[in-house]
Formats: sequence, C-alpha cells, structure tokens
Amino acid sequence: MVRPVAAVAGAWLLCFGAALHATVIRPIEFHELVAGARVILHARVLGVRAQWADGRRRVETLVTLEAEEYLKGQLGEQITIRVPGGQLGRYRTIMIGAPAFTAGQDLVLFLDSSGPSLPFVFGLSQGVFRVVVDPARGAFVTPPLLEGRTTAPQPLVRGAMGRQPVPLAAFEAAVRQAIGDTVR
Amino acid sequence: MRRRWGAAAIVAAIVCAAAPPLQAYLKLGMQVGDRLVSLQWDRFPVRYFVTNRAVPGVTPQQVQQAVSAAFATWDAVPSATLSSQFAGFTATGPLENTAQTVLGFEDEPSLRQVLGATSFTVDVTTGEILEADVFFNSTFQWSVAPAGEAGRYDLQSIALHEIGHLHGLGHSALGETDLHAGGRSVIASGAVMFPIAFSPGSIDERTLRADDIAGISDLYGTSAFKQTAGSIAGTVRKNGAGVFGAHIVAFNLKTGNLVGGFSLAPDGSFVIASLDPGTYVLRVEPLDDVDLDGFFDDAARVDVSFRPVVYDELIAVPRGGTATHVDVTVVPK
Repeated sequence: MVRPVAAVAGAWLLCFGAALHATVIRPIEFHELVAGARVILHARVLGVRAQWADGRRRVETLVTLEAEEYLKGQLGEQITIRVPGGQLGRYRTIMIGAPAFTAGQDLVLFLDSSGPSLPFVFGLSQGVFRVVVDPARGAFVTPPLLEGRTTAPQPLVRGAMGRQPVPLAAFEAAVRQAIGDTVR
Repeated sequence: MRRRWGAAAIVAAIVCAAAPPLQAYLKLGMQVGDRLVSLQWDRFPVRYFVTNRAVPGVTPQQVQQAVSAAFATWDAVPSATLSSQFAGFTATGPLENTAQTVLGFEDEPSLRQVLGATSFTVDVTTGEILEADVFFNSTFQWSVAPAGEAGRYDLQSIALHEIGHLHGLGHSALGETDLHAGGRSVIASGAVMFPIAFSPGSIDERTLRADDIAGISDLYGTSAFKQTAGSIAGTVRKNGAGVFGAHIVAFNLKTGNLVGGFSLAPDGSFVIASLDPGTYVLRVEPLDDVDLDGFFDDAARVDVSFRPVVYDELIAVPRGGTATHVDVTVVPK
C-alpha cells in the first residue's frame, strides 16, 4: 500500500461506466411492483415447510404468514405462500436468488397468484422487503425504496444520501400513494 | 467477487457467507455438519441434457447450440480447469428433480419476472451436488441470432450467466441501473454474473469479464494460476464496528479490470482474491440499489447506511501473495 489516490478516482468512474451488459431478472421499479402485485401485505412468518409438488417432480416450500395489515387485496388473517426449493430429508433444493424465509421474520410482501394454486412472491425476491427494528429509530424497511419519479432516467448512485431504509409507516404510505396513482 | 489465495481466507469467506446454511453470492456454499463446503463440481466433464422443447423463434437444436457455446466460454477460461459435455435431449423440464442436469425452457407462473434461474439439489450430509438445472422462461421473447435481435433476449448471454451459477458462482454487484417512472434499466455492468437483465437485443454479455474470470479461477484455478494470483484482505468498519455486506471493488490501474467482493463477517472482514498482481484502487460502497435476497442469505443484516469511499492509498498486490491488510472506515449517512 502506497501513494495517495485522488487522481485515479475519475479514471475509475469512466472505466466503470463504459461497459454494457445484462442477465437473469427483469428489474421491477416500485410503481410497477405495486401495480403488478395482486396482494401487498405486512406480515410475520409463522412457519415454513418443504414438500414435494407436481407429483414429486419438484420441491417447494410453503410459508405460513400471519397478516398484520393488507395494503392491497385481502387473503385473510393467515395465508400460505409457496417459494421454490426447500429441504426434504437429506436432500436440499436451492434456487439461486429465491427468497428464504424463517419463522419470526417481519416482512412486507408483494404477492401474485395464478389460477387455483397458492400465492407466490411477485418478481421472485424483488417482492420481498424486510422489516428491521432499530431500538433507537423504530421499524425500517430494507432494501431502500427504488422509486422512479421522473420520465427521464435517473442513474442509481450507490450510497446516495437520499437513499436510506425507509421507516415502515413511510413505506406503507408510499405503497398506498402508488396504488392511488395507479387507480387515477 | 472472487476467492483464491490462501485457504484460510477462502474458508473465512464461506464461513461468513453461510451464516444460515447456504446462499448465492461470491461462491455458493453450504454447511455440512460442522463443515462449510463450497458448491462446486468435483468430476468432469459436467454432463448436461437439454429439454426437447421449442419456443417461438428457437428450436431445441438452437437451444443446445446456444447452451453449448455458453459452456464452452466458461471451459475456455485459461486460468481454470473446466470441461462440459452435451449428453442429449430430454423430455424432462429443468424444474424437475431427476438426478440429471437439465437446461431448457419452461413456463412457471411464480417465475414470471425471471429470465433464467439455476437450482441445485444437494445431499446436505455430504455437500455433493446431485443435479443442477437451468430454467429459461418461455414466456419471454428469445433469440439465438449471431448479432442479436431487437426486442428479444439473447439466449447465449443468459445461459452464460446461469452456467456461472451452475459452476458455483454467486451474483456479482458490478453493475449500475437507472430509474424512471414505471421502469428500471441496466446501464452498465462489469460482470456476466450481475443479476439484472440488460435490454433485449444486446449480445454484449456473451463475453466474460475480469470479475467472472477471477471467480471461476478461484473455484477451479489451475495450479499455475494459484501460484501467481494475488489478493487483497481487509476490514470495513463504521463507528468502530464491522460492516456486514459492504461491496468492495478493486480497480486495476494498469488493465482497468474490476473485481468485486463483499465484507462477509460481523467484524467487516473481506478478501478479494484471484487478482492479477499490480496496483489497485479500492472503493467501498453500500448495496442500497439491489435486491439483497439475490446476494445474501440473511439480507436483513446487510448494512446499507453508509457513504461510499475510495480508500486513500494505492494497494500493491504481490504475485502469489496478499496485500498488506487494508482497514477501511466508512461514514454513516
């Protein structure tokens, strides 16, 4: 380790911004997430249980939730959703990027459904926001909200001062506002 | 996000990554009894089947050609020892547990926003991979055209990312996106293993980047590579405490290559391995613009409330060794 570094910071950013590329998920902006989800709720995980699905062709995990508040739609006080993968005996199936749940977790979930099957998370893990309680500041939702506010593209700069985990009440208000925008 | 260097550092990284038994970032790892093992193949070639199912504009034979080209790209990394073999077509879909490694198209409603996904079935008593399948979402528009096709996702590009997972790599955070009302787009990336899709029509991601090559070389590096590659180790701290989940990027001043890593322990320690010897700049930033579940098992523990910082000294990575320990202090937002 040697030499001060200020002069290279500019070159760094230029280099990083040069390459284009892609893969895997289609990214969902917040308003699209709100509009696309059939159900949005604040809930706590009561339990998880893996099972065979599709005539023992695949493994899925059933996640039982206790709803604390519905922000969109209504599925009752206790609901069960399904997520890909899970562990049955000595065999575990893992889908990379799929959310993992454990009992006791506090969440805001964006859900979708298809036909008579159980609901599932909209956008794989993009529809999962975790509620973290800071003893000093109260309940916050993470990751921070990614809300497109203008028609002109705004680059997302990591560490931008304005982007913080959002207080739960503010997050819920933003969801309600977005639902209202959609209705109008 | 790569590891190679001292065995101790590799183990440390996995230990922290696997706090709850498993997950997908850096290298994929899992807890087996009191051991932590990385998910990687120990027998080669990796034999794979392709689902005998067409989608509009792409025949099963074209699927196989695109997938084989993607496997060949990973196999061709000179600093790693990988090989693969097409074993034939199958009627089995990629989301089925069959003890065969299958890649192919399927329509699964719960994965509607996902272009492709990789799943593993593992014996948790041994860590052995029983199968690893790759799902491509048949509800999207796909292309195998050599130069790409407007409005259609390039199958070879997506396959290259998924096969990176299949070989044991997690996600890279070397990418940037922008936001506008009702939409989000990728504008830059420094790794095929970045998890968000670029606009349809692009074929740029048929080519591995330095970050991808460092990662795969960490897992399957040749002995010659392991003797020459270097690494950077250090800690990220905020208010005197370790930061979990910080993204650390090493920028090689000579080559312009970027390789990323994460602080993976409560004490904020990190290792970026499989680096070319040379002089580096280090940037530390919060992952406040990504879907954290795609990176970490325990997403709620990730600290995203600090300001990015460029470390104020250049770092010399020696040939076959580790740079002097780097202590980075970040400031809360």
